[in-house]
Amino acid sequence: MVQINFASREINCKIVYYGPGRCGKTTNLQLVHEKAPANSTGELVSIATETDRTLYFDFLPLDLGTVAGMRTKFQLYTVPGQVYYDATRKLVLQGCDGVVFVADSNPDLMAENIESLDNLATNLRENGLDIMDLPMVLQFNKRDLPKTMSIEEMNAKLNRNNWPVVEAVAVNGDGVFQTLKAISQGVIKRLNREQGYNDEGKKPARASALAGNARTAPTASISNAHPAVPGRGPAPPTPSSRFSSPPARGPSPQTASARIAPPGTRPPNPQTASARIAPPPTRSPSPTASARTAPPVARPPSTQIPSGRVPPPTPRSPTAPSFTKPNPTLQPKPSTARFATKSATPTIKPPSAQNAPAQGGETAAPNPFRNRLAEIRSQSTDASARSAAGDESQDNVASNEAPQPRKGCLGRVIKGGAAVALLLASAAYYLLR
Amino acid sequence: MVFFVRGLVAVPDAVERHGGKRRKTMEISERMRKARLVFYEQDIEEVNKILADFLDRSQAKCALLIDKEGHLVTKKGFTKSFNTDSIAALVAGSFAATKQVAQLLGETEFTVLFHQGKNENIHIALVAERALVVVIFDDRTTLGMVRLYADELTQRLTDSMLRSFDRNKDKDEGVGKEFADAADQALDDFFGPTK
Repeated sequence: MVQINFASREINCKIVYYGPGRCGKTTNLQLVHEKAPANSTGELVSIATETDRTLYFDFLPLDLGTVAGMRTKFQLYTVPGQVYYDATRKLVLQGCDGVVFVADSNPDLMAENIESLDNLATNLRENGLDIMDLPMVLQFNKRDLPKTMSIEEMNAKLNRNNWPVVEAVAVNGDGVFQTLKAISQGVIKRLNREQGYNDEGKKPARASALAGNARTAPTASISNAHPAVPGRGPAPPTPSSRFSSPPARGPSPQTASARIAPPGTRPPNPQTASARIAPPPTRSPSPTASARTAPPVARPPSTQIPSGRVPPPTPRSPTAPSFTKPNPTLQPKPSTARFATKSATPTIKPPSAQNAPAQGGETAAPNPFRNRLAEIRSQSTDASARSAAGDESQDNVASNEAPQPRKGCLGRVIKGGAAVALLLASAAYYLLR
Repeated sequence: MVFFVRGLVAVPDAVERHGGKRRKTMEISERMRKARLVFYEQDIEEVNKILADFLDRSQAKCALLIDKEGHLVTKKGFTKSFNTDSIAALVAGSFAATKQVAQLLGETEFTVLFHQGKNENIHIALVAERALVVVIFDDRTTLGMVRLYADELTQRLTDSMLRSFDRNKDKDEGVGKEFADAADQALDDFFGPTK
């Protein structure tokens, strides 16, 4: 479920890549991690088995930038595709906002695609979600295989709700970002619908409630720059998206992938120094991997969202519209700076500085934990002393009341007097009546 | 005699009040489980104050509040050296997996998890059935001390979240139409325009 945080001005969405085993879900994330701008993605975390199969999930945070004053973040997850890991697949789907179903275009694997799609519907239902209601995109992957099923045929077998379809060769990056864009649009549209806006952008009720609240209303930074969306023509000519210049991105400590594993688990990729969390195995090249290297066949023209959207790598030039003007979406993450200044004023105080007058008796102990310990000890000694004195009436009172410091002889005399007075009073009452 | 009679009257009252409060709390939790999590400045300020107070007393390194889906809500303390986004996602995953283990054992879920490392340790506790508070601490404090104050922390955070949920339930949780428009443009800028 989309989390909206007005305090930090953030919107967080969860997108899950689903599909049968070895269909290319992790590859999708790897490509996004490789080609997205360095300041937009975080670490790619992968929990994988020795044989490089996803064991639990892969995780990649993607920062879209500031949208209408709200920093919009997508958290991309993949699931393990193998049938055996059904329980973990269900867990990853928990609270997701959109699903990308990655299908293998190999006709021999169509049964697995269908089985996985059915499994997705079941797991979503068990998480209280409806596959027909959730934003979803179908990605027909591995379109470069020598033998692929036609788009129409795959649509007929898999597309049950007129979901957007993207053709992809994830290993090359083709179609990866169109898929991500399509699902992002779906998630945002749904968020909009949930707030009561219809597709024309009209909100029948409660529309102005937020606008009146100065404290919570986000500042519309981008909407001013692009005022009228319905009438908005083709956006300012931005043929080169933010992914158009992958080679310009140098290795950065922030984006260096955290897939902790020794080299050799995966063919070394010069662009992503990625290592998985796995012990050292030796992996033989898979049949699909070799199939991917086969010369690509002529691809049929897509009837849906055209593939091959990822532009060819061109050096980041100052003429590219995305980079020429100060774009609010491209601001670096402020968190680093914020916490850099924070580190200068540490929150954790040394115990000595916390309570300066430490010598001042019990209550001024240097450590709060010791205070508490002393308190507990005094309570327990009180109770034991009372039971040792054999004063039953006092014990009964003490067990029901908050522990009090022990009174001396005078207190006992007063209590005894009070008891006698009470007895006398009740006797006088009965006698007089 | 007088005290006794007063006691007889008072006891059922107290039970009813207590029972009523408990029922109300459970009802709110049920609604919370289904509602979208929206945090306003006042909520986060309150949570931050509670976390800071906890860190001050327990001497832990940092504390994060995350939701069960793995999104970070807020953080306090020394977090610069940690990738908090990844920690949030992994902790939520770990908690979800442990919940399944708990169910295999006949429990609903484990409300507290603890991972011990050589230098750093993590204490995770469930808050209001909807969020998790993650405490990272090292040898400057002890597990006992963290657990002692984490119980209180969990209770205070639960109360705070319930209060904020009550406060915000009638607010318009939306981000405005301008967000959808701007998001369209931002997606075009980010991914390139769709043909």
